[in-house]
Amino acid sequence: MWLRIGVVCGSPMHSGAGMAERALTNTIRTLRFMAGEMTQAELGERIGVTRQTIAAIEAGKYSPTLEAAFRIAEVFGKPLEEVFHWGVVNET
Amino acid sequence: MVAREQFAWVWLLTMVVTYAAYFAAVVVMGETPFWTQIIMFAATAIVQVVVIAIASAVIALRYKNELSGDERDRAIAHRASAVAYQVLLCGIILVGCLMPFSHTGWDIFHAAVFAIALAEIIRHALIVAAYRRGLRQPNAQRGWHG
Repeated sequence: MWLRIGVVCGSPMHSGAGMAERALTNTIRTLRFMAGEMTQAELGERIGVTRQTIAAIEAGKYSPTLEAAFRIAEVFGKPLEEVFHWGVVNET
Repeated sequence: MVAREQFAWVWLLTMVVTYAAYFAAVVVMGETPFWTQIIMFAATAIVQVVVIAIASAVIALRYKNELSGDERDRAIAHRASAVAYQVLLCGIILVGCLMPFSHTGWDIFHAAVFAIALAEIIRHALIVAAYRRGLRQPNAQRGWHG
């Protein structure tokens, strides 16, 4: 599944003239902490990606596929919108 | 550094060094006999293949568990290939459609080799950049290539 669910944290998407700049953020680091300090490797193993990919997602350097995003949310038992946020960075 | 980034570094550095040396030799030596040209190119290709084969074997042995790759690896490879394809396409149009009207023989061959080498260098440079800086998607409306 190659649908992307947005753009990465450190690189807000320019949605067009006069529109707000939005970016995809996530709370994976917090959720890992709340899940007994689950490691990136363990989370990666459970959703079928490498530790480096989890690190990149957490750092906002990679936007996961929709399928991976749902898998991550499923691991923590949370709905997708509690793990990933499509927020406004600033108004133009 | 992940295994695939190391592969990309090996490819990138090997391509840059071997083909820089090759094209420097071509420029410096100018007109040379047919077999000299063939030997120069064969030597470049052999050095490239041997270095990449040895380095790839070493990396593969060190990172046995990381070689399968995941969605991020595939996305990075896909985007790099998409860009390199455009470069290769421009090169091949130049070599195959334009140069036959103005150049002959080894000029066309060297231009074709340059286009292929440039496309490969760009592909691996983009892979390295994506692993180090992240896979950016500046515009969600860009389409499936991203």
